Amino acid sequence: MKRILINSAAMIALTATAAQAQLIFEPGEDERFNWASLEEFGAAHSGLEGQRFNILGPWLGGDQELFESVIPYFEEATGAEVEYNGSDSFEQQIVIDSEAGSPPDVAVFPQPGLAAGLAAKGQLKPLPDEMRQWIVDNYAAGESWADLVTYAGPEGEEQLYAFPYKADVKSLVWYVPENFEDAGYEVPETLEDLKTLTEQIAEDGETPWCIGLGSGGATGWPATDWVEDLMLRINSPEDYDAWTTNELKFNDPKVIEAIDEFGWFAKNGDFVAGGVGSVAATDFRESPAGLFEFPPNCYLHRQASFIPTFFPEGTMIGEDVDFFYFPAFSEVDLGQPVLGGGTLFSVLTDNEAAMAFIEFLQTPIAQEIWMAQTGFLTPHTGVNTDVYGDDTLKRMGDILLNATTFRFDGSDLMPGAIGAGAFWTGMVDFVGGQSAEDSANAIQSTWDTLQ
Amino acid sequence: MDGMAGQKSSLTWAVNIAALLLVVLWTIPTAGLLVSSFRDRDQISTTGWWKSMTSQEQSSFVRTGAAEDQVQDGDLYVLEGDLVGEGQSLSAWGTSARDPGAFAPGESTDVDGATLTVTEDGQYRMESTAPFEMRRGERIFVITESPPSFTTENYSRVLNAQGIGRAFMNTMTVTIPATVIPILIAAFAAYALAWMEFPGRALLTAAVVGLLVVPLQVALIPLLRLHNEIGIGKGYLGIWLAHTGFGLPLAIYLLRNYMVGLPREVIESARVDGATEFQIFRKIILPLSFPALASFAIFQFLWVWNDLLVATVFLGNTRDELVMTGVLRELMGSRGGDWEILATSAFISIAVPLLVFFAMQKYLVRGLLAGSVKGG
Repeated sequence: MKRILINSAAMIALTATAAQAQLIFEPGEDERFNWASLEEFGAAHSGLEGQRFNILGPWLGGDQELFESVIPYFEEATGAEVEYNGSDSFEQQIVIDSEAGSPPDVAVFPQPGLAAGLAAKGQLKPLPDEMRQWIVDNYAAGESWADLVTYAGPEGEEQLYAFPYKADVKSLVWYVPENFEDAGYEVPETLEDLKTLTEQIAEDGETPWCIGLGSGGATGWPATDWVEDLMLRINSPEDYDAWTTNELKFNDPKVIEAIDEFGWFAKNGDFVAGGVGSVAATDFRESPAGLFEFPPNCYLHRQASFIPTFFPEGTMIGEDVDFFYFPAFSEVDLGQPVLGGGTLFSVLTDNEAAMAFIEFLQTPIAQEIWMAQTGFLTPHTGVNTDVYGDDTLKRMGDILLNATTFRFDGSDLMPGAIGAGAFWTGMVDFVGGQSAEDSANAIQSTWDTLQ
Repeated sequence: MDGMAGQKSSLTWAVNIAALLLVVLWTIPTAGLLVSSFRDRDQISTTGWWKSMTSQEQSSFVRTGAAEDQVQDGDLYVLEGDLVGEGQSLSAWGTSARDPGAFAPGESTDVDGATLTVTEDGQYRMESTAPFEMRRGERIFVITESPPSFTTENYSRVLNAQGIGRAFMNTMTVTIPATVIPILIAAFAAYALAWMEFPGRALLTAAVVGLLVVPLQVALIPLLRLHNEIGIGKGYLGIWLAHTGFGLPLAIYLLRNYMVGLPREVIESARVDGATEFQIFRKIILPLSFPALASFAIFQFLWVWNDLLVATVFLGNTRDELVMTGVLRELMGSRGGDWEILATSAFISIAVPLLVFFAMQKYLVRGLLAGSVKGG
């Protein structure tokens, strides 16, 4: 016991010294970075020396380290002190903390629905009006982004309450290029081609898709991404927006068509690895494993940009595995819709330095520091895409910048009881054999009880 | 039982076997967790822990060298290398993903005009009359047998995690007062409810028992708001109070039922001899109730030690205040799924509660019966 205590004391001493902030890229050295924007920001925000604020967010582990590598630049420029805390139960904690009267100064929301809820309760501070115009002008598909962070306040007036920083692309299909070469398959350019390819692989006696919906208490969410992606490829963005607010009913024929389109892929025993029965039972983290088996268990896997974390160790993206944009129908003229996610920064207290931090996130340099490392995509058109840490990120970033329509993950926009409840279970029932109509009716009837 | 000692009936056997089966059934998940904590992530995702003791057949691929690695041997261009790792043995190989076991070791085949030979010990040799021009190596698929392998890397990763020492101290700072304070309060309350006559005693006891069914989650927001308003805020004092409050109903209930069962004669004769209530409590009740106190101490210690919810709400999330469970959760990553870390963490964080348990276990069995049998 005594030894444990001594060891822990030593470790405390170690961690205390390791906490010193460091700038990972020396300012002014690398030409690719927009250092001028950092100096400009610093000059415009003097007088914040010694001020402190804290940030609560969902990032832990690697993501936390990456975000904490951006913060020192703000501290250096303004002299303010920032503390970031991550929590994997962020959704619950932010509600408890703000309701109890001890909110963090800045919160990082992974779900717009949650931010909208807190804005309506008056927990979030409105951001300056000109920031909305700034987002429209400087972000690709800017209107989509601006609408995403504009909520009704406590008195019902629409205002900007959050700033989007860091995006994810969900419209990606992963495949092993060499397996494609060996079998003579081509990367499809249209959704029609993708369906033809699916049929062709099945005809060759192989299995085209790996689909896994399992995720513990959240089982079913990967299917909601599928349906949302297909929604954007069949119906107009306006229909999609109406769908997330239930102006377009969940059991509308347009929505049922999208669910059935997902069923075309997932409910055909020849198209999914392990048969239809295993779709709901397979964990989403384990589902891509089939791509890397020999002989391959499947050839295609649709999942967001985070999934390489769960690929076998040592897998090289671009070499051992690659991705392509989940294509759109060539017959339907809806451009290149992209489904994505992202995190939104909101201010919860009257802290001056916290507000300045939101302005800091607008500068190209705040985005480039993280871009140059890993796991960060941005729709900001004013950044230098050459700083992307690797080719994969750059190509994902291009998908985001070329998007004609960007839409946020719809289930995150819907009320929690739907987007994190009925929609998930409805999709599990659908894959389990229920018709699209019955599943949609069940989800809609849950939604009706909310109103 | 004594009367049946001579004739061991088949029923006794059945009971023993059933008990043994239950024990085995009960410990299998723990054994699995222990085995998993010594395996790496790829092993866990490919095979179950029960297969970890036997050698594994695995299919994977190895990339040959590319154009820049070729050497000239006479008029042949040659690429050479090793296909299997140390301790593995090659059982089959192939050049197509769809048929990874097409050839036996020792055979040769043609790949794009070159001849590929793989020897029994896993060496490959690719020969061609024309120079190789590929930028990326060819894939050679191999089916290998690997002996069982275990690693202690998970343990060193968890034990060397940043801030784990600090977190250990924080957990101790939370746990010890949060175990001692409720026992102190509950012992007094239990004595009063069991042996002191005052109006409304039965009602008060019923109210305490009623509190047992209130889930603590409903109290989180109001309690934290109260703490913020009276100026305690987030901190150790707040979490001690919270744990005390959440633990008290069970503590009072358990201790009162135990104390009620103590012989009335002892207490009454003490009263006749002129002892005050406090003397009776301190000199008679407390020593006699030790088993119940000890067993509640173990319950409360385990609950506070394993707690994450109350700690994140009342203590906050900063590095300086994070408890063990908080650090271990961070190791799991933003999206979870690192089972090997989960298994390892479980075995590391179990160490201290085990110590507490063994130190106090002789009281536990007696204490578990607390209040269930009333002696007279």
